[in-house]
Amino acid sequence: MPTLLREKELKKNLGIEKLMRSYGTVIACIIIILVFSILRPDAFFTIKNLINITRQISLLVVIALGATLVMSVDEFDLSVGAVASLGGIISAKLAVAGVNPVLSIILPILISFFIGYLNGMIVTSFKVLSFITTLAMSTVLAGFTFWLSGGATVFENIPDSFKYLGSASILGIPLLTAIMLILCLLFRFILNHTPFGRRLYAIGGNVNASLVSGIDVVHNKNLAFALCGALSALTGVMLASRLGSAHPTGGDGYFMNSYAAVFLGRTVVKEGIPNVWGTFVGAAILGILANGLTIMQVPSYLQDVLTGVIIILAVIAQKVTSGENM
Amino acid sequence: MITLAAALLLSGCSGGSAAKGSSDSSLNGKNVSVVTPYLSSVTTKQMVDNIERDLKAEGINVNVVDTKGDFGELASRIEDIVSSKADAMIIVSADPGQVETQLKDAFDAGVPVFGVDSGFIEGMKVNATSDNYEMGKTICRYLFEDLMNKKGTVIALTYRPHPGVVKRCEAFDEMIKDYPDISLITEQQVDVPAGPIESSREIMENLILSNPEKDSVTAVFAAWDEPAIGASQALEAAGRDEVIVTGVDGNSQAVEMIEKGSNLKATLSQNFDGMTDIVVKDVIDLLSGKEIETGEKYAPATLVTKE
Repeated sequence: MPTLLREKELKKNLGIEKLMRSYGTVIACIIIILVFSILRPDAFFTIKNLINITRQISLLVVIALGATLVMSVDEFDLSVGAVASLGGIISAKLAVAGVNPVLSIILPILISFFIGYLNGMIVTSFKVLSFITTLAMSTVLAGFTFWLSGGATVFENIPDSFKYLGSASILGIPLLTAIMLILCLLFRFILNHTPFGRRLYAIGGNVNASLVSGIDVVHNKNLAFALCGALSALTGVMLASRLGSAHPTGGDGYFMNSYAAVFLGRTVVKEGIPNVWGTFVGAAILGILANGLTIMQVPSYLQDVLTGVIIILAVIAQKVTSGENM
Repeated sequence: MITLAAALLLSGCSGGSAAKGSSDSSLNGKNVSVVTPYLSSVTTKQMVDNIERDLKAEGINVNVVDTKGDFGELASRIEDIVSSKADAMIIVSADPGQVETQLKDAFDAGVPVFGVDSGFIEGMKVNATSDNYEMGKTICRYLFEDLMNKKGTVIALTYRPHPGVVKRCEAFDEMIKDYPDISLITEQQVDVPAGPIESSREIMENLILSNPEKDSVTAVFAAWDEPAIGASQALEAAGRDEVIVTGVDGNSQAVEMIEKGSNLKATLSQNFDGMTDIVVKDVIDLLSGKEIETGEKYAPATLVTKE
């Protein structure tokens, strides 16, 4: 009988390990929610705050979806923040000039789609490191954004119709939250269930094998960069609409956090690849931490320390539990 | 492991600091959040430190939130402060117009909002700042009467898109009409994104070339200190010691130049301590249940000269 007990115990341990491997980051997210809920149930664990959090993370999720696409082909786009700033300024300028609100949202997204495609073309055609290309592109765009805005925040004479996207709710759900959810579902479907998505993962997994198997690596990578540009600009537009103003560096803050969300998201699946569900969880962890820690009145500098430590621990935990060589 | 670390840190540092030496026990345990996007700015830090020190001395818990120039995060943190049911919120050095939607949520939730050097929108309790129009008038009067003896020529270095600077410029426009013997040579907009000191230095170098005769320019009115510094440096390099320069703000570099003796002769020092004093008093009064006068309130600026 002792042998049987040991076997049971072993199976139980393996079960817990498997659970932690598969859902460790999600469980960590749930525990963070529980900790805040216990410490401040009156302020944190409320429907109003849940809606608050989803609205707050919506921008990070959308920009991080773009980063997820580029990272799925094993590249980086460091211009996401600059594109978001540019997108916000263009849309706000168009809105102030009296352009139709729908057009003032769509135009910067289209422009940024081509900026992203250009990023991809430089990377794929000239075999330049995406790191360098997109860093240089972000400098170009920052300069262009400052020129366009005169360095000043665009907020005077912005029509109320432009603010609709950032402030409206449908059946109590903020429009920003709805956009985030729709885009998550759409890109999860694209990445997991379409030939395009599978090609992106194949390229990210082994670019040489993809070339041999006849995948058009150049075109698919370019498209990943282009979609990343479009999603970054959409983030900038959402931000400008939410604030009712556009700052020439308004999107810059999303750059680091978007990659933090994607890296956290990679820990959600045991393969450690960028994925939409993981990115959403990663952004949610960052958003919940920022929200909860503010509600708990934790000073800003400690929030930064705590958030950074949690990201490092999550990535280490994923490496350890996935059994990869250290 | 992650959660344990989070829980330990949370339990260790939440809730702000305990009150000591409270003068009014009804204020003990009250929570005030101070939020700014610019804590790295020396002036903003000075104001935030003043507020924190003075409110804590009254037994109030103070939570400082800095969003490092990120207005998107500023909006989110304001929402969180509203969710946390803070007893009051103070925004420092941030234009409330840029987070109007989030501040309206705060007004609706009954969280009193104060501003320090921020701006005022309907629904806020108080914003303490400098009266830019009055500052413009004060420095113009000193320049035109005491330094120029009511005659001569003047160059204006401005940047009218800035809401504070434009009020000083409007004061300049009004005041110069009262001095018929003073004529405006040109008004030049400083290229702020390119760097106000460098830009104004270049502008001044070009204007020196177009006005090469001694005494062809009597004075330079700079709408704030940085263009005054740039203009003064250009004049000094060109050996045009006779041209008088004035600024506004009282930044430390400008004050140093005035003290050591340069073309820069005067500036107006904004009273940042006075601004925090106004808001701290109003916050304490409001949290103690007293009535306060709402609206924009001004801390008087002081003239800085070599004497």
